[in-house]
Amino acid sequence: MTTTTASFAYTSTTWPVLDRMAAAHRRSWKMLAAPGEWWTGAERISIAAECRRASARVDGLPDPGPGPAELPEAAVFAIHKLIGDLPNVTRDWYDETISAEGMSDAHYIELLGVVVHIWSVDEFHRALDIDLEPLPEPLAGEPTQIRPTGAKAHGSWPPTVWPDDLDERDADIYGGADRAANVRAAMSLHPDSVRWLTDLFDAHYLSWIEIQAVQEPFRVLTRPQRELVAARVSALNECFY
Amino acid sequence: MLLGRSSEGNDALNLNGTVRNEVDSGVEHGEILLRYSDAAVGRTPDLRAARDALDIAMGPDAVVDCAATIANFQRMVRIADGCGIPLDPFSREESAKWRDGLGIDDFRSRGNTFDEN
Repeated sequence: MTTTTASFAYTSTTWPVLDRMAAAHRRSWKMLAAPGEWWTGAERISIAAECRRASARVDGLPDPGPGPAELPEAAVFAIHKLIGDLPNVTRDWYDETISAEGMSDAHYIELLGVVVHIWSVDEFHRALDIDLEPLPEPLAGEPTQIRPTGAKAHGSWPPTVWPDDLDERDADIYGGADRAANVRAAMSLHPDSVRWLTDLFDAHYLSWIEIQAVQEPFRVLTRPQRELVAARVSALNECFY
Repeated sequence: MLLGRSSEGNDALNLNGTVRNEVDSGVEHGEILLRYSDAAVGRTPDLRAARDALDIAMGPDAVVDCAATIANFQRMVRIADGCGIPLDPFSREESAKWRDGLGIDDFRSRGNTFDEN
């Protein structure tokens, strides 16, 4: 099921979802529907749909069905791996995935960007027992296939772009900082995924500026309580980093 | 490594409590927050009861805040493990002091961070 407008109105739930969260979720759906650098809008919707199929498989729920566009076999496999078999994601698997037909390192990072952001919004809904938002209708247009010229090997599997190497069109992705956190830089082969990450991170957790600050801006949980939860989620996922 | 950073300047947080249920985390309402986190991530039948318990203890705003935190880190771990993010030498050395005790050196994704896989 798809929709032409993303509401995220949260009118049918009694949970007091913050406006800044609802607004970020609506922006997420807009980003999802638009063509990216390496995938069309329809393919991005299909990545999101496959993400939901993977989640349903994990949960033993009925298959919600595929999206509007066919995806490369390696892409489908990657989505299911990232959702349901994260501890077994390895360097060899990554190398094999980006070498497969219809894939590249840039395709993979954009796919990962769609998967993690849709998964995150859906997980928020599942945790609160709120129905999942229908996926949006794809917007027309072709992928730009613009690859950042400053992308280099910096230790993560995919090449990344450090602040000094940003192209002018992507100068904003680290907020003007001269350093970038590894987790943001990891997505920089697809700059819009860094923008998306920042937007949703700010809404779900704290802005990067707020993290550095002493005051607790708008949260109910204290910092130790949030970090306890964050650490537990990482441990449950067997995430070493 | 998030575990280690969580404890910096935070005397209240007992790192062992983040990975072992039998150890008190030292955080107010920690047990209830962890119960909800476990249920949400683990997809257990306890989710509704865990959420209700958190609601009673801390109120609905806290439930939303906790759900958002869980959702955020369900995303972050997949970026980290999906990209094989490296650990800088300082963090690598510092974390060695407590990694083994917490059992996280046994995580398979250790090999991604240390480029061993």
